[in-house]
Amino acid sequence: MFKLALKNILFYKGRSITTAILTFVSTMLFIVYVSMMDGSHKSMLENSLKIYTGAIEIYHKDYRDIGGNEYLIQDVKSLSDKLSNIEGIEVFSARYETYGLLSSKEHSAASMIAGIEPLKEGELSSIKSALREGEFLSNSSGNCLYMGVELVKKLKLSLGDEVAFVGGASDNSFVADLLKLCGTFKTGSYEFDSSASFISRLYFDELMYAKNKASYITIKVTNLDDVDKINGEILKVIDTKNLESLTWKTLMKTMVEAMEVDSIFGYISLALFLVVIFFVIMIYGFINISSRIKEFGVLRCIGLSRSNIFSLLFYEIFILSSVAVLFATPIAGYICYYYSINPITIEGMAEMYKDYGIVSDEVPFSFDIFTISWNLSIIYILNFLSLIYPYFHINSFRPIEATRHV
Amino acid sequence: MFKLILKMAWKNSFLRLSRTLLVIVMIAVSMSMMLGIQGLYDGMAFNMIDKNKRSDSGDISIYAKEYRLDHDIQHRIKNAFEIKDEIEKMQGVSAVAMRIKADGLVSTARKSSFSSIIGIDLEAENHFGEFSEFLKKGKLELGKRGAILGLELAKTLKVRIGSKIIFSTQDISGEINSIALKVRAIVQTTNIGLDKNAVFIDIKKSHKFLGTTSGEATQIAIMSQDEKLLGRLKTKYPTLDVKSFLELKPMMKQMQDMMLIFNSITFVIVMSVVFIGILGVMYVSILDRIREFGIMLGIGMRYKYIRTQIFLEAIIVGLLGYLSGALLGALLLIYLRDYGLDLSSFSDALEMWGYEAIIKGTIKVSYFTTTFGAIISASILSVLIPLRKIKKLNPIEVIKAEK
Repeated sequence: MFKLALKNILFYKGRSITTAILTFVSTMLFIVYVSMMDGSHKSMLENSLKIYTGAIEIYHKDYRDIGGNEYLIQDVKSLSDKLSNIEGIEVFSARYETYGLLSSKEHSAASMIAGIEPLKEGELSSIKSALREGEFLSNSSGNCLYMGVELVKKLKLSLGDEVAFVGGASDNSFVADLLKLCGTFKTGSYEFDSSASFISRLYFDELMYAKNKASYITIKVTNLDDVDKINGEILKVIDTKNLESLTWKTLMKTMVEAMEVDSIFGYISLALFLVVIFFVIMIYGFINISSRIKEFGVLRCIGLSRSNIFSLLFYEIFILSSVAVLFATPIAGYICYYYSINPITIEGMAEMYKDYGIVSDEVPFSFDIFTISWNLSIIYILNFLSLIYPYFHINSFRPIEATRHV
Repeated sequence: MFKLILKMAWKNSFLRLSRTLLVIVMIAVSMSMMLGIQGLYDGMAFNMIDKNKRSDSGDISIYAKEYRLDHDIQHRIKNAFEIKDEIEKMQGVSAVAMRIKADGLVSTARKSSFSSIIGIDLEAENHFGEFSEFLKKGKLELGKRGAILGLELAKTLKVRIGSKIIFSTQDISGEINSIALKVRAIVQTTNIGLDKNAVFIDIKKSHKFLGTTSGEATQIAIMSQDEKLLGRLKTKYPTLDVKSFLELKPMMKQMQDMMLIFNSITFVIVMSVVFIGILGVMYVSILDRIREFGIMLGIGMRYKYIRTQIFLEAIIVGLLGYLSGALLGALLLIYLRDYGLDLSSFSDALEMWGYEAIIKGTIKVSYFTTTFGAIISASILSVLIPLRKIKKLNPIEVIKAEK
């Protein structure tokens, strides 16, 4: 049957070439499109994770939903001791976050001020490497502030300038202090750069009456793929009645959902192309089979069964699809691989879409063998599906009737 | 003669019924899907642009020269009220709104967030951009201490209708001022900036709070369909920053352009593939009947009549496909326009990006006219190659040839 199928393919060149070309085009389109979509989504998530959000974060229950000082983590030290023993955690740090007003001589602006452990933060997030001017914090930085460049612009500050801070301490008392701008950073996230500032915890804990307290503990894991497993280990050792440990999938749920929505629209568009191509392949298959009814009648008369006929048609479409896929996959794969290493750069994209959390002008592709494999499976399935109607059409003829078909 | 040719073309179109039906189904399915996608994407872009205009910038906005670079209340339009009066009297202006805005910190007893207080005149805003349509929860009234919050800000602060909030900012004299407000309503404008940050209060209250006078504003927004108005305003107010909507929101322009490019590429690819489909069927259909055409030429029928018949056959198939596609597409578009695509399970994500959870489509006549042109052209082009073959026919040889 395989040999016969091969001969038929070579004999009906028009149909074979059209089917192979259309399969080639749909394979290329599918692999490259999905790779671009997945790559850009992954990059957005990774960029957001790199900036500030941890792979895992531990909160007091209700801190995220209700908030307030009564939902701060109260015993950071004992929790830290437990976390130190968990394998797979690269580094963790306790952050104390509050909101307050910062004022320069003439201007004021609201800011999120986070008390951080400077040494650990350098490994945890990209805020240290995002340094623009001055210096990053150290444990001995005292009242030094490390501030986002957009916030610095708002307050019209220069390095060394004094900034008045007004806010509320962890015991709900009123807090005011004079801080000093020692460094500025730019992560690329407009929202973050225009609202965040950092200070060493050693100083901030005194000011906020927050020793051994934290808004949350942020954790970096050695391998991001193990995040669920490590989170499971954490949940075993923490007091789950009062604390919750959440992975980035929950912490960035909205963003993950946004990517899913974007993917839905992407797949809707892609479905249009695939449906049209499917129809054309089916039409060409049908035309081809219609012109061979007599031939199928003869084959049935000489003893071939219906399943033999199906095998013949199956082999034909399988060979044609495989030829197209064999050409398309390496080309599409190479395109995906190349652009995953050398992302496409769209100048000004980050600036244009800063409100949407886009922090980079680069659009990297994703190169994932598993994704390419399921893309190919879909192409094969569609091509096989295009056989169904022509096959039933042939079977609607009795063998003798088919031999007399004009 | 034409009547006879038309009759023959009609009958021949259905000679191989399954084949013709397959082409019609292919055209109908691909066309309706394409129309649905175009309508949905255009609807998303249109909705976003429309609501951005209505909630914020209008078609044109005027600011003090430095304001857009430095959102400081010091950069306000001092004689805004007079300017508003002058603009309202200008030809082609349908509505004008004056607003005063200051950035600051909004807090509840438990949560804080960055925000902007925006002083508005609710009545004027309703006239300007049907502000009441943005209402999600509560009642649109500002009263003495009332505030209307953007949806995302309300989510961040975890506030409900009736919750108390405190807004703190610097007034014009540089003093830090705070105001206690009660949440009366929550709005979703689909303008990310407003949904994430806006605390709307009565403009008179905001003047008192910020220390500005009632004639001052940071923004004068204008609704007008007059394309020449922008130039006239720029000339009339050279000391102010007069900007069109697209100058203020270049992202929207880029989004519109991207939608147009995407829809055009989709259209070209789909129509090319549809063309290949029709070509295959028409080519085989004509080759199947080559003896028939040979006989027709042999008995003296002129080539131009055969050509007309074949063109008509292609047009009939294309037209039937188009009509089925247009019907399906119209039904799909009407559904998307009236009910939309319900993505409520992703509402948080969509709202974060300034979209509503139910995405509604739009219907344009141009969808149907351009598709009509493309499908009929594809149908006509698909028979050009087989026609060349018939033209070169030697009738005697064809008749003699075995089937």
